[in-house]
Amino acid sequence: MSRTATRSGRPIWPKVPASFVRAVLAGHSALGLAFAALIFLVCFSGTAAVFIQEFQRWERPQDPVVVAPTASVLQTAFETGLRLTPDTNRVVINLPGEGLPRFVLTTWTGEDYKMWALDAQGRAGERLDKPWTDFVQDLHIYLHLPRSWGIFVVGLTGVALLSSLVSGILAHPRVFRDAFHLRWGGSKRLQEADLHNRIGIWALPFHVTLSLTGALLGLSTVIVGVLAMVVFKGDTEKAYALFATPEPAHDQRAAPPPDLTAMLATLKRIAPDAAVTYAVVEDPRQAQQHISFGTRTPGRLAREIYSFDRTGALLGGSGYGARNVGESLYSAIGPAHFGWFGGWPTKIAYGLLGIGLTAVTSSGVAIWLARRRAKGRPAPRWERVWIATVWSQPFAYGAAMLGVVAAGLPPVAVWGGATLAALGAAAVLAPVRISRGLRSAGAAALAATAGAHVVAWSGRDIDPAAWGVDVALAALALTLMAPEATGMLRRRAPADAERPAIAAE
Amino acid sequence: MGFYACESDGDGVVSGATVALVLAGGAAAGVALRHAWRAGGARRPWLIITGWGVAAAAVAVAVASAGAAPGTFLALALIPVAVLALVTAGVKVRDARTRAPRELALEPSDRASKAWRGWLRGLLAGPIGGVAAMGVGLAFVVWVPGAPQTRMVLGGMLVPVLWAAGMAWTLADDRILRATAVLVGVALVTFAASALKGFAV
Repeated sequence: MSRTATRSGRPIWPKVPASFVRAVLAGHSALGLAFAALIFLVCFSGTAAVFIQEFQRWERPQDPVVVAPTASVLQTAFETGLRLTPDTNRVVINLPGEGLPRFVLTTWTGEDYKMWALDAQGRAGERLDKPWTDFVQDLHIYLHLPRSWGIFVVGLTGVALLSSLVSGILAHPRVFRDAFHLRWGGSKRLQEADLHNRIGIWALPFHVTLSLTGALLGLSTVIVGVLAMVVFKGDTEKAYALFATPEPAHDQRAAPPPDLTAMLATLKRIAPDAAVTYAVVEDPRQAQQHISFGTRTPGRLAREIYSFDRTGALLGGSGYGARNVGESLYSAIGPAHFGWFGGWPTKIAYGLLGIGLTAVTSSGVAIWLARRRAKGRPAPRWERVWIATVWSQPFAYGAAMLGVVAAGLPPVAVWGGATLAALGAAAVLAPVRISRGLRSAGAAALAATAGAHVVAWSGRDIDPAAWGVDVALAALALTLMAPEATGMLRRRAPADAERPAIAAE
Repeated sequence: MGFYACESDGDGVVSGATVALVLAGGAAAGVALRHAWRAGGARRPWLIITGWGVAAAAVAVAVASAGAAPGTFLALALIPVAVLALVTAGVKVRDARTRAPRELALEPSDRASKAWRGWLRGLLAGPIGGVAAMGVGLAFVVWVPGAPQTRMVLGGMLVPVLWAAGMAWTLADDRILRATAVLVGVALVTFAASALKGFAV
């Protein structure tokens, strides 16, 4: 390998031994292939989950759009919860924000919960059922596997992604030198390598942030469990207690429900800039009632929690989340991972870079397949399987969404069935036909979803954001068909077009 | 899902002017660095300095507008978008009928394909590397001074970082027995050290 040098000939980058690069490249390939499908699914589902609030506004356009309820309205909402579920042991009230202007009440009875959309006066409207939104969120968080296992698998996938980023940088010493080189058309391998390396290097800080925070979120249960096993004799509660707000003394005697307005006045006095995002009342009819307010403060990524006892006394003396670096870091992990800051510009940037990370995963496998083909050792079965994997998800998401809107079908079942059907296509169809077929089917499903949604809600007074999502779905459908429309695939040289398509064509 | 989804709302929308400035800064940084990449001679170091300087200024604008942590993460998302747009704008569409340029990338090394090496490599990259990483994270939590929450979070963050690094190393290193000895040794020493000292709150 030649030394990286300036045009004037002076080296600016130390020479990396070829044997080292080849060894790291082998590890990078092995890891990428082993986790390819999981990383792809986690990245794809994560990109969709960036827009979870928009999905809820689209799925529930009839719910009241509420802006900044007062303290007395919050008290009304709390009393509504007690009236609707007299035996509740926990009332949760989510306050509206600019991203999701919805006022939502959740009451828990043991492990069961019920949700309602509230109006601007804190009165309950319809029961809140949002299967599509929940599906999108849960697929990313635990892949709809048994919950603790699913979260661990996603965390492990985050570690694999982080490791791939490390080995990817070490394995590509030209990645900085070629940082602006993007060639399209001609050699499939070079095209995919350019795409893989350009997105990989320029979005590296974002990729590291996402994979590290995702791994930490996914593995936190295991990490805390190991810590507790070694230093707390297996008592995980002691480990978690370090990250919880102080609790009132144990007292199960009956007591009147708390006055939240007085606590909010206290909160306003001690943290005037903090905006309340949610309120939780535990054991609302017992003397041990525990009231917590989640807040966010402008200029801070970390969130804070202020807790009170039934008398309105602040527990712990200050807001959890701001007392030390550890608390601040801990409560900033979620916002940094999910893009819960900065509003719509952050969402759009996270969405675009999420698509980019998904494309990096797709192109990584495509490079491996193209390399095999170039060396005379093609893997046609894996070429078909991978292209079916890549294009299965736009189709499966579109089908699941359409199923919810048009027929009220459970999205997990439709998504699973559509994914299996797409993978089944790999057994019988050529790669180019798989790619075109799944892209066309995905586009049709998305367009039909938008159409069905417009028909269902037109003429009704709904959240206008829902129309924006319909337009976005139609635009996505057109984007999926863009390669056909522009003739991109047909412009390939005859020799290139005759061989099977390999990756995300 | 057992809990309401959007408990942490994405409020506090950053101003359009800030977004425009950060994107423009990212694009300007990209233009300077691309010039540095294309141009040789004495101007090159200055172009590189200018490029990264403008990128740093774009981060500073985001921090001044949105706060230290949100501004930094916002800039880390917006600047790549701007530079990637610049890279995309400079795409070179090749005629597929012409001969492809010579491939400069190296090929992965061919390894001995004994089954036991593959299994051991998988164990090292997976569970053994994970246990060793947890051991180091745990030792950090137990031995490093500071607030217990800070020690736990930093120690916890070390786990995925070290596991990922160990994964990259063990999958690349042909001396697989050396990697085995190092990871097992690290795991034994760190867990023993943590158990001996215990955790002080």
